[in-house]
Amino acid sequence: MKQCKFTRAGVEYIDYKDTDTLQRFTNDQGKILPRRVTGTSAKHQRQLTTAVKRARFLALMPYVDENIR
Amino acid sequence: MSKNYYEFTYIINPVLEDDQFKEVVDKVSKLIESNGGEIEEVDEWGLRQFAYEMDKKGSGYYVNMYFTAPAEAIASVERQLRIDDNIMRYLTLKYDAKMLRHRELQKKNEVPDIFAYEEEDDDNNDENDD
Repeated sequence: MKQCKFTRAGVEYIDYKDTDTLQRFTNDQGKILPRRVTGTSAKHQRQLTTAVKRARFLALMPYVDENIR
Repeated sequence: MSKNYYEFTYIINPVLEDDQFKEVVDKVSKLIESNGGEIEEVDEWGLRQFAYEMDKKGSGYYVNMYFTAPAEAIASVERQLRIDDNIMRYLTLKYDAKMLRHRELQKKNEVPDIFAYEEEDDDNNDENDD
């Protein structure tokens, strides 16, 4: 039973400053998780992607997280 | 001349002294005002660790601000900041209707928590197990 968390909470805009939330949608390498894993709606996945990329640009989030080598 | 609402975040070079950060922040604010902008809020996050190394530096002084300005102002403000060596990076966002609504919620501290339902889910799972 997957459902988009953003849709359910009624989120209209995903903020790039909210890195705690964004982090939950990336894996330990810092990659954005696919929709099929998170159940995010297409609309929110697009927003999420831009938000993560903005956060990366400002070094709030890593492009590549070197947890495991 | 129509005005838009903008969010602007920039990173100041961390090698500066504390009072120099203030100078840069003042300079940027004045620059926006001199281009016909009206500042609503300036939020200095202060020194923050970077998620990755940028220009051989591990941290930077973050400033996040909101203002209304005519569209033409952005180009000239950005041109000035690009030249400024003290500013490592900046990001300007023009707010659309959705973002403005989000901003209003943010001001009232009513941004919906997307993980608020998580506990409910756990409860449901328990029931299913029974």
